[in-house]
Amino acid sequence: MKVLYSQLKQLVPGLKASSKQVGLKFAMAGFLLDGLKKVSFQGKKDWLLSFEVRQNRADCLGIVGLAREAAAFYGLKCQLPETGVLPKTGKASFALVEAKTAVKRALAVEIQGVKNKQSPSWLKEFLSFYDINSINLLVDLSNYAMIFTGYPSHLLDKNKISGSLCWAQNKDFKEITTLDATKIVLKGGEIILKDDSRILGLAGIVGGKQAMIDLKTTNLIVEMAIYDRAKIRRDSRALKITTEASVRLEKDLSPEGLDYVIGFLTSLILKEVGGKMPSCPLFSFYPHKQTMPKIKFNPGMPGVFAGIPIRESKCFQILKNLRFRVKKLSKNSWQVVPPLDRMDIAIGQDLVEEVVRVFGFEKIPIDELPVFPVVKTITPLDIELAEKASDILTTLGFDEIRSWTLTTMEMNLRTSWISWQNIATQNSVNEEFPDLRQSIAASLILELREYDKRNVAKIRIFEIGRVFGRVQNNFQEKEMLGLLIKGKDALQNCKMAAETLLRSLGFRKVGYLIAKAKPLAASPNSCWNILANNKIIGIIYQLGQAEVKETAFLEIDLSLMNKHLAGLATNPVVELDNKLVALDANIELGLKGDLRALLTKIEADIGQNYLWALEVVDQFALKDKIRYTIKATYKNLSDKAAKAIHLKVFSL
Amino acid sequence: MSEVDLKQLKIQAENEVVAAKTMADLDLVFYKYLGKKGQLKLLFRGFAKLPESERKQLGVEINILQKRVENLVTIKKTALELVVVKPAAKAEDLGFTMPKIGHLHPITQTIRMMNKIFIAMGYSVMEGPEIESDGYNFRRLNVPPDHPARDMQDTIYIKEPDFLLRTHTSSVEARILAKYKPPLKVVCPGRVYRNEKVNKSNHFIFHHYQGLVVLPKVSLKDLFGTLNFLFKKMYGPKTVIRYRNKYYPEVEPGVGSDMLCFACQGKGCPLCKGVGWIEMGGAGIVHPNLLKIAGINSQKWMGFAFGLGLDRWVMAKYKINDIRTLLGGNLAYKYFEGENTLS
Repeated sequence: MKVLYSQLKQLVPGLKASSKQVGLKFAMAGFLLDGLKKVSFQGKKDWLLSFEVRQNRADCLGIVGLAREAAAFYGLKCQLPETGVLPKTGKASFALVEAKTAVKRALAVEIQGVKNKQSPSWLKEFLSFYDINSINLLVDLSNYAMIFTGYPSHLLDKNKISGSLCWAQNKDFKEITTLDATKIVLKGGEIILKDDSRILGLAGIVGGKQAMIDLKTTNLIVEMAIYDRAKIRRDSRALKITTEASVRLEKDLSPEGLDYVIGFLTSLILKEVGGKMPSCPLFSFYPHKQTMPKIKFNPGMPGVFAGIPIRESKCFQILKNLRFRVKKLSKNSWQVVPPLDRMDIAIGQDLVEEVVRVFGFEKIPIDELPVFPVVKTITPLDIELAEKASDILTTLGFDEIRSWTLTTMEMNLRTSWISWQNIATQNSVNEEFPDLRQSIAASLILELREYDKRNVAKIRIFEIGRVFGRVQNNFQEKEMLGLLIKGKDALQNCKMAAETLLRSLGFRKVGYLIAKAKPLAASPNSCWNILANNKIIGIIYQLGQAEVKETAFLEIDLSLMNKHLAGLATNPVVELDNKLVALDANIELGLKGDLRALLTKIEADIGQNYLWALEVVDQFALKDKIRYTIKATYKNLSDKAAKAIHLKVFSL
Repeated sequence: MSEVDLKQLKIQAENEVVAAKTMADLDLVFYKYLGKKGQLKLLFRGFAKLPESERKQLGVEINILQKRVENLVTIKKTALELVVVKPAAKAEDLGFTMPKIGHLHPITQTIRMMNKIFIAMGYSVMEGPEIESDGYNFRRLNVPPDHPARDMQDTIYIKEPDFLLRTHTSSVEARILAKYKPPLKVVCPGRVYRNEKVNKSNHFIFHHYQGLVVLPKVSLKDLFGTLNFLFKKMYGPKTVIRYRNKYYPEVEPGVGSDMLCFACQGKGCPLCKGVGWIEMGGAGIVHPNLLKIAGINSQKWMGFAFGLGLDRWVMAKYKINDIRTLLGGNLAYKYFEGENTLS
C-alpha cells in the first residue's frame, strides 16, 4: 500500500518525524517498507512510501488506516475529513439483497443530475501513483475513495438499470462483459449484481459493461458492500480475476466502516460532479450488526512476552492511542474493546502484540542467549544415519547433489523399481516435470546429462532425498540414498562403494541377489538387489545402452537400512576381566564347503559372552578339500575354561 | 683384458651415460655395461685362465669400474627424473590418479552447521513428510480454508484440497506438537515447495530451517537471543540484525528477521531492493490456537518458533547469486581443493 508523506501529515497534523523515520517506524511495527521514492505531487516535492500490509490488516489497505497507525505510533490525533450528507437509516427501495448469507452489509445511494467530466490534474496525478488510469471524474472519485478509505465501491448508471438493483447468487447468466470489455465465462453460483434482466457486475470483484458510468451519465447509484470474504476469494480464484476490489474484499473489512466511506464518496461526488440526492436516497441491508469482543487482558503479559518490563501505564497509553476502549476491572485484569475497524483483534495475545509492536521491537535486547532447561532428545536415528552415510561417501570421493524431486512420468517409468504408482501434481509450476520422482535415479540421470553438457568427466555423485509413490489411495514417501558413477568399471566401483558404505555402517555381510523387479533403465543382465545381513535394502545396476554408457547406479532405502541396523547390538564396549586366550584349530572342508556358514556356526556355538575374535589365519589345499587354520580368541575365561570350550566347539 | 682396454671401456661408458637423453637411453646403457650379459660382466669370463695374482688385481679394477658406471647411471637417472616432463594425461596407465575429494552440498553443509549449533544447545533434529495434508500444512497452523494468509504461499497440490507438497516446515512443527508432549526444543530442516515462477531469486523447490521451543515460559528476548547467536555463528560477530513485527498466522507476536544487506552494507542496492536489509526468515511466539489444537494447555506452556529461508542463508554464505544453481546441474565442486567444513 502506497501513501504520500504529505497526505499522512495532512491527516496527522502533529506528525514531525521525517518520511524515512516514519518508514522505519512502520517497518518495525509490522508494515515492511518496501519502497521510499522521491516524487512530485501538485508541483511540490513529496515522498511516496510503499508498505507491505499484513494479511490480517484489511483496515490498512487505505490511507486512513495507515494514518491511524502513524497517529498511534507517535501518540497523535488522526483527523479525517468530515462527512454528513447521508441519512443514518436507509429506506430506499431501488435495491434488494437475495444472497442474504453471502452479503454481510450492503449500502447504496442514489444521486441525480450529475455532470460527469474528465478529472482534474491533481486526481489524475494522484491515481497514477497507484497505477490506476483515469477514466472519468465519477469513476476516478470512486477509485480515489477506495485508495483513501480502503473500501471498494461500485458506481452504476441508474438510467441503464431496468428495475431493481439486486445482489444475488448467479443462476441464470453464462457470461459477463466487464468494464474493460473482457468476456468472462461464468460457472454459476457466483455472487453477482443484476437488475431485472441483466447481469451488472461480479460482486466484490469487477463491474459489468451494462450499467457502466460514462461522460453522459446523469443519474447514478453508488453501491458498496461487505461480503463473506471466503466466497469472494473462491469466486475470484475460480474465475481467475484479481482486482483492487477483490484483494480488499476477500480480507476482513469491517462492515461498520461503510457508513463513513459512502458518506465520504457521496460528499466528494456532490462537491466535484454536482447533482443532488432524492428524498429517500439510501438503501441499507445490514441483518447482523457487527459487534466487537470484550477481551479480558492482563497488562503484565506484554512484558512477559517481550521479556522486558513494560509498565502498565505504558500499556494503557498504547492501547488508548490505538483507539481501544480500556476498562480497568482489577489490578491485573482489564477489559479491552478494540475499535470497529480492527477485525484482527480477538484474544489477549492479539493485544499483547499490539502493545509490544508499538512499544518497539527495537527496545528488546537481542544479544542475550537464553539459558533453557535440558529436555529429552527426540532426534530419530535416521538423521544420524544419513549424515554418517554422506560422510563415508564424501570420504570415498563422491560429491553430494541436491536435485529436483519433480520429474517426468517417462523418467519414472524407466527408473522405478518399487511396487507403487506414479504421483502427479495438479498444478506444478513446471509443466515439463509434473510428477514426483519414484527413484533418485530419475534426478541423478538428469544431473549427469547436465554435467555431460559441461564436459565434466569421471562423475561420482550421490543424493539423499525423498522418493514418492502411491499405493492404493495412500501417498507414500521414502528417504533414499542414490549414487551414480560414470567411468571405467562403473559397476565394479559402485559395488565397492556400496560394500564400503554398508560395512562402515556396521553390516557384516553384504551381498547381491538377482533383482526381482528391474527398472527399464537397467541393463537386464546387470541388475541386483543389495543385501545387508541377508535383508534386501536396495538395488544396484548398470545403466542400459539406451541411457548413458559406462554408468552404474545404486539406491538404498535408508529407513530399511536403519531398521536393520537398529536390530544390531549398539553397545560396542566390554570390560575385560581376564586376559584374552587365543587358541588355534584346524578344520577341513570340501571344495564346495561353505566356510562362512561354518564360521557362523562356530561363532554361535561359542557365544557372544566368550568370543572375542574368530580369524582364518592359514589355508592349505589338500587333494579334494581345503584345510583351514582357525584362530579363536576367548574373553572372560580362564585358560582352562577357554580350552574346554575350544575342544568342544572344534570337536578336538 | 689389458689396462688400456679397461680405460677405454670406462671412457666409452662414461660418454654414453652422459649422452643419454631419456630414461630409455639410460636403460640401454645400463644393460650394455651392467646387464647380465653386459660388457663389464663379460670381463669376468676369461678369469679362470689368468694367474691368481692378475686375476685378483683385474677383479678389483673391474669392480671399481662397475661401481663407477653404476654411480654414474644413478646420478644421471636422478637428473633425468628432475627434468623429465611426465607424459600428458597418462596417469591412469601408470596405475595412479590424483585422489578426488568428495564434497557435501552447500545446503547440507549449512544445515549441519546450524544443527551443530542447536544440538549443542540441547535441541533435537526432526524431519517430516514432504507430501502433507491440508491439516498439518494449514489448519493446525491457524490457517483455515479460504484464509487470505494462504495467498502468502501458493501451493502445489497433489489432490486439492486435501493433499499438497508442504509449503513450509511449519508442518513438521504441527506434527511435533501433535505427537510429543512439552517441554520441547527442536529444529527441522527440510525441502519445501511453492507454486512460484523460477528466476534468479525464487524457485518452486527450496529449503526451510524450522525451530520450535515449548517451555513453561519463553519470550521474544529469548527468541531474539537465540536467532542472534545463530546469525553471528554463521556470519561472524559483526553481522547486523534487526527484528521487526510481522504477521504470520501461526505466531503472535510475529517477527521478521532481517540482516543488513551484505552487498551494500545497508546503503540500498538491487539485491535488497533499495531498503538496505535482506529478510532471512520469520519467527514469533507460538499462537495459542496451535497449542490448543494440539491439546497443549496454553496457560501452562509457551513456545517460540522460527522458519528460516535456508537457500538465502546458503547463498549469502557461499556467495551464490542465483538460487537455481543450488538445485541445478551447474553446481560443481573444486576437484583438488576441498573445503568440507565451513569456516
